Parts: sequence; C-alpha cells; structure tokens
Amino acid sequence: MSWVLNNERLEKMNFNLNNNRIVFLLLFISPLAGCKKIFEVPAEKEYISNKISYSSKLFEPVLGRTALMGTFSADNSTQPLTFSIANARYGDGRPMTDLFKPKEVWVWTGAYDGKEKSLEEINSKRRKEVHPLFEVRSSGQFILWSSATDDLVAARKADSTNLIQDRRFFDVKVSNSGGEVIIKDMELKFWRERPYEPSTDLNPFTGKVAPHPGDPRNPNKRDYIRPSRLSNIIGKNTRKALVTDDNTKDVVVYIRPFSGGNGHSLRFKFLNKDSVAMNPALFNETKWDLLVHGFNRKSTAEYVQYDVAYPIPLINISTPYANSGKANVNFVYSRIGFGGARETGTLGLDFSIYREGDWEIVFHFRNDNPKFEDE
Amino acid sequence: MKIRIILRVLVCIAFISQGLKAQIKQVTIKGTVIDEGTKQPIPAVSLLTGTPSKAIGFSDGKGHFSVAIPAGTTVVFRYVGYQPYRLKVSADQLNLNVRLKELNQNMDEVVIRGYVARSKEVTTGASFSIKGEELKDIPVANIEALLQGKVPGLNIQNNTGAPGFRGTTQLRGLATLNVSNTGSETFLQPTSPLYVIDGIPIDADKASEMGYDLQGPGISPLSLIPQEDVENIEVLRDAQATALYGARAAYGVIIITTKRGHSEIPRVRYTNNFFVSTPPALRTTLGGNKERALKLAQIYGNALSFADIMEISRTPLLSDSLNSYFNNSTNWQAVFYRTTYNQTHNLAIDGGNQKFNYKANVGYFANKGILKNTGFSRYTLNMNAELRPNDRFRFTTFLSGGVGKQQKGDGLGFLQQGVAKSAQASSLLPGPSFYQSSGGVVSALETINDNATRNLRTSIDAEYSFLPGFKIMSTVNYTFSSDIEDTFTPAAANNQFSQVYGFNGRSNSLYNRNMLNYSATFNEKHSIYVSVANDINEQRGQNSAIRQVRTPNDQFQGPLGFDVLNSRGGGVLSYNRGRLASFWAAGSYDYMRKYILDLAYRIDGTSSSGLNDPFSKNPSIGLRWNFNKENWMSDIDWLNSGSIRVSWGKNITPTGSLASIYGKYNTGGSYNNQPSIGLDFGSIPNPNLKPKTKEMYNLGVDLNLFRGKIDLNFDAYFSEIKNELFSRNLSNTLGFGSFPSNETGMVNYGYEMYFAIRPLSDKSPFKLNLSFNGAWNNNILTRLPEGFNGQNIAFSGDASGQHTIFRVGRNTLSNYLLVNQGVFSVDGDVPVDPVTGLRYRTEGNFYRAGDPRIKDVNGDYIMDRNDYQITGNSQPLLTGGMSASLSYKGLGINIYASYTAKRTILNNALANRLGIMNDPFGRSDAGPKAVVSLPDVNMWRKPGDVAKYPYAYDYNRYSTIQPFRNDQTLWEEDGTYLKINNMTLFYSFPKKIVQRLGVNNLRFQMSVSNVITFSGYSGPNPESVTALGRDLSGGYPNSRDYIFGFNLDL
Repeated sequence: MSWVLNNERLEKMNFNLNNNRIVFLLLFISPLAGCKKIFEVPAEKEYISNKISYSSKLFEPVLGRTALMGTFSADNSTQPLTFSIANARYGDGRPMTDLFKPKEVWVWTGAYDGKEKSLEEINSKRRKEVHPLFEVRSSGQFILWSSATDDLVAARKADSTNLIQDRRFFDVKVSNSGGEVIIKDMELKFWRERPYEPSTDLNPFTGKVAPHPGDPRNPNKRDYIRPSRLSNIIGKNTRKALVTDDNTKDVVVYIRPFSGGNGHSLRFKFLNKDSVAMNPALFNETKWDLLVHGFNRKSTAEYVQYDVAYPIPLINISTPYANSGKANVNFVYSRIGFGGARETGTLGLDFSIYREGDWEIVFHFRNDNPKFEDE
Repeated sequence: MKIRIILRVLVCIAFISQGLKAQIKQVTIKGTVIDEGTKQPIPAVSLLTGTPSKAIGFSDGKGHFSVAIPAGTTVVFRYVGYQPYRLKVSADQLNLNVRLKELNQNMDEVVIRGYVARSKEVTTGASFSIKGEELKDIPVANIEALLQGKVPGLNIQNNTGAPGFRGTTQLRGLATLNVSNTGSETFLQPTSPLYVIDGIPIDADKASEMGYDLQGPGISPLSLIPQEDVENIEVLRDAQATALYGARAAYGVIIITTKRGHSEIPRVRYTNNFFVSTPPALRTTLGGNKERALKLAQIYGNALSFADIMEISRTPLLSDSLNSYFNNSTNWQAVFYRTTYNQTHNLAIDGGNQKFNYKANVGYFANKGILKNTGFSRYTLNMNAELRPNDRFRFTTFLSGGVGKQQKGDGLGFLQQGVAKSAQASSLLPGPSFYQSSGGVVSALETINDNATRNLRTSIDAEYSFLPGFKIMSTVNYTFSSDIEDTFTPAAANNQFSQVYGFNGRSNSLYNRNMLNYSATFNEKHSIYVSVANDINEQRGQNSAIRQVRTPNDQFQGPLGFDVLNSRGGGVLSYNRGRLASFWAAGSYDYMRKYILDLAYRIDGTSSSGLNDPFSKNPSIGLRWNFNKENWMSDIDWLNSGSIRVSWGKNITPTGSLASIYGKYNTGGSYNNQPSIGLDFGSIPNPNLKPKTKEMYNLGVDLNLFRGKIDLNFDAYFSEIKNELFSRNLSNTLGFGSFPSNETGMVNYGYEMYFAIRPLSDKSPFKLNLSFNGAWNNNILTRLPEGFNGQNIAFSGDASGQHTIFRVGRNTLSNYLLVNQGVFSVDGDVPVDPVTGLRYRTEGNFYRAGDPRIKDVNGDYIMDRNDYQITGNSQPLLTGGMSASLSYKGLGINIYASYTAKRTILNNALANRLGIMNDPFGRSDAGPKAVVSLPDVNMWRKPGDVAKYPYAYDYNRYSTIQPFRNDQTLWEEDGTYLKINNMTLFYSFPKKIVQRLGVNNLRFQMSVSNVITFSGYSGPNPESVTALGRDLSGGYPNSRDYIFGFNLDL
C-alpha cells in the first residue's frame, strides 16, 4: 500500500530540527508562561484585619513588678505581626520618654520547676538582659518590666487627681506584609510600687501607711497585713483562740527590709506582745526545709533566714512552696489541749515580694502571746 | 528570468489541466474495505470526493462498495476511528481491496461541535477524544471512573468505592469555592463538566449536590449508561469548543456518543464479565490478650494517680480476663467487609444501511459492595434508530431507560461512619451472634435500605436540507428521573425503637433545540459555515421525605401513618424549577482548510440569574492555522500535520436558585392563634444575581509526526471565573442573615500535554502503543467581596478544627492549621516565656517531652487560635496518566496508569489510628475500642527520641494537650501517587477458527483493576480523600477487582 510507512525512508529522514522552527513554537508557548503577569493576577499578601483591637485600652499595672498585659484580638490577621509603640505622649502632647529607658532585668531562659537544689541552679535558668522598661512583643502583649520603679517612672498622683497633662498615652502600630493598622490612644496609669503583697498596710496612692478600713479618716489608726491562716492558736492569757479579722488583729505581719543581709535573703521573725523576738523553734512542727524555696537556712533564737531568689515566688506555677502566684508559708506547732487531745496551731501567710533585697517577714502577736505549753 | 520561469510553469499547468480534461471517463470501481488489523470488513465507510468532500457512496455490511466516478479523481475512504485512505482512480483499477488502518493521528477525525459533526482538522477549540474500545474491559458502575488519567486536563479522583457513586471530576482546575458541611467531612461543591449524551445534556452532579448530607439515592445519571454502549467520548476543554453548549458549559463539556447501527446484516454482540471485588488491606489491630496487655501496659506506664490503677479493677474488660464475655479476639473489620462475586451482561443488536439503521442495547450490571449490606445493580435498555430516506432528510430517535438499585446500608454511601465506628470496637468483646449483637452491627448489617433511581431519556432528532447548503435541524428531548429511598431501621439498631425513612424525588427536563445551518464552498478554497439556533430547557424537580420513629415492630415496615404529635416529620425537602433559553449564531470560515476562523455569539437567559438582567452574552472566537499545509513546510517529510490553535471565549453556568433571586416565604410562628407565613429572613434576595462566568484563553499546538508514529498535543490555557456565588453574612443589624453576592473570582492557568508513540515498525507483527499525558494546573483566588480585605476563613464547625481559608493571590483552597514542628524530645526543649518564666502551654496545660511541638507563631508562648497559619493546597497541581498496549496477533495486553501529584492531603486516617489509644478503659460513649500496633510509626517513646509523631500511649494527654489534634500540619502530607488503574490481558480468536463456530468474533479477557498505588503517603490510599484532600477514616474504601470476561459477536 502506498501509504504504509517506508522504514528505510524513515531512517534516512532528515532529522535536522531547524532551530528556527523550534523558536517559532516556543514563541507561541512562552506568553502563557507569563500569564500571571499579563492577566494581572493579584499577588498574595498577608491579611491584616481592620478590626484588630485590644480588649481594653487602659492598663493599670503596679510599678516594680513584671507585668504582661493586653489581650490582643488579631481577628485572623496573618501572624506573626510586627508591633511597635509609637507616639508615646502625655495628654497635652509632650513626648513621654521615661518609660523606654533600657535597664537590666532578669529574663527566663529555662523552666523553673521548684526542684532546683541551689541558688546557682535557679540563676542558671535566667539571665540578666537589658530591656526598655516598657515594651511590646510580637504577640501584641505589653511588658512592663520590674525594672520600672518609682524612681524612674512617675506613678499616678498621690492626691488621686487624673489631669490630662499627667495621663500617659501611646499608639500601637501593627503591621505585616499586608499593611499596617494603628491602634490609637492606649493609656497607661501606673500604681506606685508596692514591693510586696499582701500590701494592705500601704496606701496605694501615696505609698504611706494605709488608714484603718473601719475608720479611714483617723490618722492615729492604720491598717496592717493579716496572716492568711490562723487557727488553733490559743492566747496564753485570754485562753481563747487568737483572732484576725477587720476588728480584731491579734496577729499582724510586717514585711520589711532588714540590713545586714547578703542582698538576696529572706528572714522570718516572730514578736510577742512585748515586741520581743520569740524563738521560731517554738513552732515545733514547722517543715523548715520546705518553707520557702531557699537555701542555706540559718536558724537562730530570733529568726530563721534563707538565701532566696527574688522575686518570690519566682514564677506562677504550683510548687511545694507556692501556689496561685503566692509563696505559702505555714508555721505549725502542736500541744496537748483540753481533754488530752493534741491540738495543732497553724499560722500561715501567702505572700509575694517583688523587689530583690533582704526582706524579713515578721509575725507580731500584738495582744496576747500564743500558748505553746500543754494543758 | 523569473518571469520566464513563472510563464513556463503556467503553461505547464495549462497543459496538464487540459490533459486531465481529456482523460475524463466514467469508471466503476468495486471492492471491499477491510480493517487492516483484524481483517474484518468495515461497513458504512464513506467514499468521498471533491472539496468540500461529498459522499458518493458507502460500503455495505460486508464492506463491499461499488461507485461510478470519473477516472483520475481522488476518492477518500473515510470511517470514524480510521485513517482515511486516498485513492486516485485510474481506469484499470476496478477491483480493489482497501485496507483501512486504525487511526493513530486524530486529525481527520470527525468531532461534534455545537451539535454538528465537523472534521477535527477545521475545529479551533481544544478537545480530546476517547474511543469506546478503551472503556470496555473493566466493568464499572460509572463510566467516568475509566476516564481517569486518559484525558489531559480532566482530573478524576475515584475517591469512593461505594458502588454506584461517583468520584470527583474537574476539568481544567477548580471552579468553585463553595464548601459546606464541617471538619473532615467538608464538602466541595461538585463542578462536573456538562455531559451531553447523544445530544441530550444531563446533569451528572444531580445526585451529589447535597454534599454528604445526601438525600435519597446517590445514583448519578451517569451511572445508568452501560459502558458497552459507548462509541466515543469527547472532552471539550476550551471556551471555543464549548461555546455552543453555553448555558451550562462553564465547567467544560463531555460528549458521549453511543453506538449506532452499521451493518446490513444484523450484528449481535454479547459481553459478559465476571468479577471478584476484594477489600483493600484493612487496619491492623491487636487481638485478644495482646489488646488487653497493651491497654494494661498503657495504664501502668502512664497513670497519673493511684485512682487510675484502681480503675483497672473496676473495668472488667481489663481485669476479668476469664469472663467469656470479655475473653474474645473478634476481628470486627471482618464482620463488615467481604469479598464479593459479581457479574455483568450486555447484549447489543444493531444493523441497518444508509437509509435505515437501528441499535438496541440491553445491559445488566451488579456490584455487591465490599461493605456488607451495600451494593449497586443496574438494568438498562438503550435504543436508537435512524431513518435517512434520502440525502435531504434524516430522522433519529433515541430511547434509553435505566433502573439503578442501590443499598447504602446505614451509611450515606460516601461515608460509612457507623461501620467505621463499629469496626473499631475492642476485639475483646464477643462478635455478633444469634444471642447478642451490638447496635452498631445491627444497624450496619440489618438496616434495610433500598434505593432506586429510574431514568428515562427520549429524544427525537430531525434534519432537513431544503436548499443546497441549507439545513434545518430540530431536537426535542425529555428526560425523567425518579429517585426513591426506603430505609427501615430495626429496633435493635436504634435503642429498641424501629424507624422508617422514605424519600421520594422526581425530576424532569424538557429540551428543545432548533438550528438553521448554511454551508458552502466558493472557488474550492473558501468554505463558510453559518448557523443560527436557539435552545430552551425547562427543568423541574421536587424531593420529599418522611420519617417515622417508634414503629410497631420489625415485621411491620409500612405503610405507616402517625398523627402530628408522634410523627418525626417529613415534607418537601427541596423544590426546583428552572428554565434556560439561549439564542446563538455561529460562523466559521476556512481558506483551503489552512486558515480557519470560528466565531460564535450566544445570549443565554436563565431563570436563576437575577430578574433585572437574566441574559448574559457570551462571545467566542477561535483561530487555527494548519501550518503543514503551507508550501514552505512541504519539504518537511516527518511532519504529517501540524497546527496552531488560538481561542478565546466565555461561558456561563447558573449558580443561583429561585430563592436567591426572589426570596422565600416560610411558615413562621402563629399570630392571633393563626399560623402565619412570612418572609424568610435567612437570605436577602438579590435581583442582580449573575450566573458564574468563565472566560478562557487557549493556545494549542497539534503535531503528527513520522507518518502517525508520534502524536503530540500541547495546550496552554488561562481561564478566569467571575461572579462565583458567595453567600456573604450580613451585619446582625440588617434583619437578613446573608446576601448572595457575585463578588468572588479565581483563575486557573496551566498546560496540558499528550504524547503518543508507536515505536514499532508497521510491518512488525507486534503492535506497541505508548501514550503519556499530563496537565499542570495552577489555581489562584483573585477576588473576594469588598470588605474581606482578601481573606475569608470557612471555620469548621466541629472539634477537628480543620479550617479552610481563602486568600486572594494564593491557591483558592488552603488549609488553616497549626504548624507542627516535630515532637519535644526532652522537657528542656519546651520554650520558656522569658517574661513569665512559664513553659509553652495550651489552655493552661504545659507542654512536655513527647508532646507535639506546635509553632508559637505570635510569640506569646501560648498555643491558641492565633497560631493558625495558611498552609497547603488541597487541589493537585499535576494530574495525568499513561497507557501502554502491546499486541501480537490476537493476543495483547493493555495497561493504564494515572497519577496525581503536588497536592496536600490531611491524613485524618492516621490521626484516627493513633488517637484510638486515647481511652484504654473504654469509658467513652463509643465503648471500648481496638488498639493498633504502632511499631511502624515514627513515634516518640522515651525522652531523647527525635520523632515525627507524639507519644500515643499517654491517654491522659488526649484530654489536655491533644497530641493528635486534627488541626495541625502533622497530618499534611504530599498526596502524590501513581496508580496502575488496570491491566488487561486479552485474546481474540483467529477469524477462521471462530467462523467455523458460526461466530464472528470471540475475545476473552482477564483484568485486574485498581492494581497498585505507588505513593509516599502514610495513610491507606492517597486517592480516597475528599475533594478538599481530607482522608476520611469513615469513607468507603476502593476495592480491587479481578475480572474475567468475554465478548462474542455473532
């Protein structure tokens, strides 16, 4: 048949694929390769919502404590976002600069778990870094470092006025490759430093002694820190259980610095009604080694002292020493009560101390001494 | 000098033509046309002469022909599927034996364009044809399944093994961003091409439009077409090719032509297939004591408190090992899965001559599912008859009816959640027996589910040529379909109360098309073709259902009646009514079949477009250059044909519903103790709603080289979808809930390639055909409604949290997931917040060794919804297939393979497999579960292990940090696979032997389908995933079939 392929001919066939012909084919194909450009297909960009916001625009942190603030709602904007604080100013337009001074602070690098065996081990999990007192991180959370203290940053007025020229405002610039959104008029209103908690003995506006809650205008009366737990402690003279409430404060607590420490020590003291130091050993069932996460315990007839890492507690997790963001201490003793039953008296305090230093926590039996003796 | 040469040439031409004239003399040529391969006579071969070619005769049933023509003219013997044979008649050639060779170059093929047959050589659109031959060996419920990997650009994923159900089909990429349902069952609205069967458009998506909340039987009209009856399938890919199918053609068009009568002697063809369906490899579980030992080890190793240890003694499944109730090793998967034996029969009779031909095809197909209590069977009858009393008149009737019966068990076909759950039961529990059986087993095996779809398609087609060149054509067809589902759930399967569900759906469609054509050729060089036409289509459908619970007993299954109080309700589920009316004009011009121009313009009105402007205008243009016909190409002898096609056009597909344009009334509460009817405030009507529009550019190159030994097609396209329906939620102050808008769009662009080669010499007794095709498709979302600022997230409503995200400028369907970066090897690997000193955590639970390391994207050291990232592409970038066929005389082997590459799959099956360890006590509602052996899994087991998967055995972590949470990229895997779809070994007995038996042809074949899948995917099957790439563990697995069959022609 004439049209059947002639093999010999095929072999001899000229395979000279002329370059021109290939170019001519490619010319037709290549435009489609660039069709994304030709047809103006939009390029991908990250998404930034114009509804991003913070749940609150006013922050009222306490100076001297590291605070992580701000609930940012990204509204599904593409993360990570870049945040920056802009236009920090007072209400009258003066620039606000005191907040952004760099200062050294402790930052965590490892996970503290309460099982560290020495101060060095704890400190190996954190290191000192220089940070501005106030900054924002990529999650949109604001950080007020504990380095922001009263002497660097002015807190709200002691007279509780809130004049516009004293108010601190700033804007937050949020951006990703999709664009930029500015959240305006965020406001900071600091409480002055209260280096420890509970701080019921301090007036948060002035930092001075707090007035008595029942009689606030009486300058001769004041408020105290009360122990968190007080049970089964019988007064030596009254033979009644000691009480701590708004009206009767048989036991009060002073959290105060002392001198002569090594700069990171914590001391527990007990004073009787004559303000004379009692021997801590009287609290005979106290687990002194598990009292605080401290080391090098020194027990004397006047106090018990530990080397500790500040702040106390170090972080907000449950450890044998702390719970719910407070260190827990309990001083326990037992005695034979009426009827021959053994009674356990407990005096406890949940506290935190934010400023590094030498601190003592003093329990003062103001009205009556506890009865340690058996009946 | 030059002038002299030209003059000489002219003089020569003048002499030659005179010589030709002098030779004119009528000769009668006679002979037989036979197939070169099979040596069978070919009936109804056209004998053509002239330009444009004109039929001068046909071969008869035995392949004989006899025509009288002037000597010296060239006669072309042409038959669909064969290479035309050109013969210059000389006076002495009187008895001829013409051998036609099967077509390997498809240039001269006749294709259907705009309901009119045209030579493929002069079409400007992109299309691809498949012969029915390629689709006959593997019995399938749905012929679409066999197209997988055969057509470049047609992405078919046979992702369900449920008998009678369809997989997903997309032509040239994604065409919707409509997702519904939730979580791993998120369903992508199907966008199948429009199927036109013998000129009747049908809606292949009809059964699956409701997503996984399937109502009624899920039998697609496509499942009611017997594959033996298919002559040819043509896939129209670009806007020019689909231009004249307009009103529903935006997703492409697939034209199925059924067989016609050819032979004057009636032919009887019988096809029988017997096939065995086997379930795939199932999940390996630990049985009996091994399960108990593993669970105990799990508890002892990971108990948080002594209470957990104590709980063992309160769990008899674990502690009471001697109790015969708990002392079993039941293979629950075997309770539900089975191997089935099935058969199909098909009988076709056809016959006729030029003036009248007929065909009848009777088919039976049955496929019992590999899941017990499921299956599909089909009975079909297809007939057509064509009457052509003279050259001017043609009249054709089609009638086809089909009944599809289906059992879905207690599942939904695609999804068999009940079985998936029950098959995970603890092996310690006793298997089903006469005395006891769990509710899940009864539900899966005893639920009586009968579905039937009855489908009737009738069509009348008439053609009349009243003046030379003018032709008037008219088609009327009516299709009717009835869908019925009856489900009876026995009492034991439903907390001791039997229940019934009944579904009744009807739909019909009336279609009419009228065309006036004119075609003419001037000066033997200029051919024109003009047509004006219109079509109208009216569709109606209504589905209703009823459900009754607490029926009297298991024996009484109906009829049932209840009062209002006790009835669980029923009523009309959906009602639709739609009309389409289109008017179009099309023109085509070609110059010497070398330069071709196609133009079309149509106006489509649909009742689901906004009433303010229901008509959309859809122009298209196509150009083709057959460059091999250029003189300067004539010296290239290795180029048989070559052409370049360029086209542009627009098509639409209606997407709205009557309710989206006109709003809806609904029964409200009562007013003054009177029931009231008021506006439905769900969606505000949009009178400006537009149909989905697709605009496509196409550039194609077709080459046929070395005398048909190499066939190469290349197409590049860019298509833009506009006016995609998008339901926008409105502000809650506006009264209405949502607004159907047109404000979304996307583009697809890509390349398609087809390459076929016959490397062996024509003289060799061996025949080898190899083909390879591939399509690269890029999909980019280009538009979302104003105010979305380029992003929208379809949050999955369920606990899985596998959200789908749409972002402009990126592939349309992306996942929105947490980024998994491995497993915390030791506790020290968990990052610590430098500010608070707290370890990385989620919902108050700190991460530790063995937990997944999920990227803290925003840097707050808390894993929460801020850490989701856009990732992945659920749509494949590359799809295609390849085939090889080798034959030696009657013996041959065919192998078909398909591949899909570059797509992201979410391996929820593995998440489920690992997560099955979450409850060693069996306290959850699902009851005690099986345990799986995990030695093959790269899992963290002890501190220091660097692993991919988190620790599975610590059951306490499941409720806190959820190590196997579905919404993490840990499950994102590349779904690339290469599948050997099927292999067939066949043998055709030599003619001489079978003719002694009085048989024309006898062919035996043995095949295996779903042979093997090569993939790096760690789940069961990278193909059995949803259109959104989620591997449902509750899906219906694909079976592997072994087929034995024969064809007998009388």
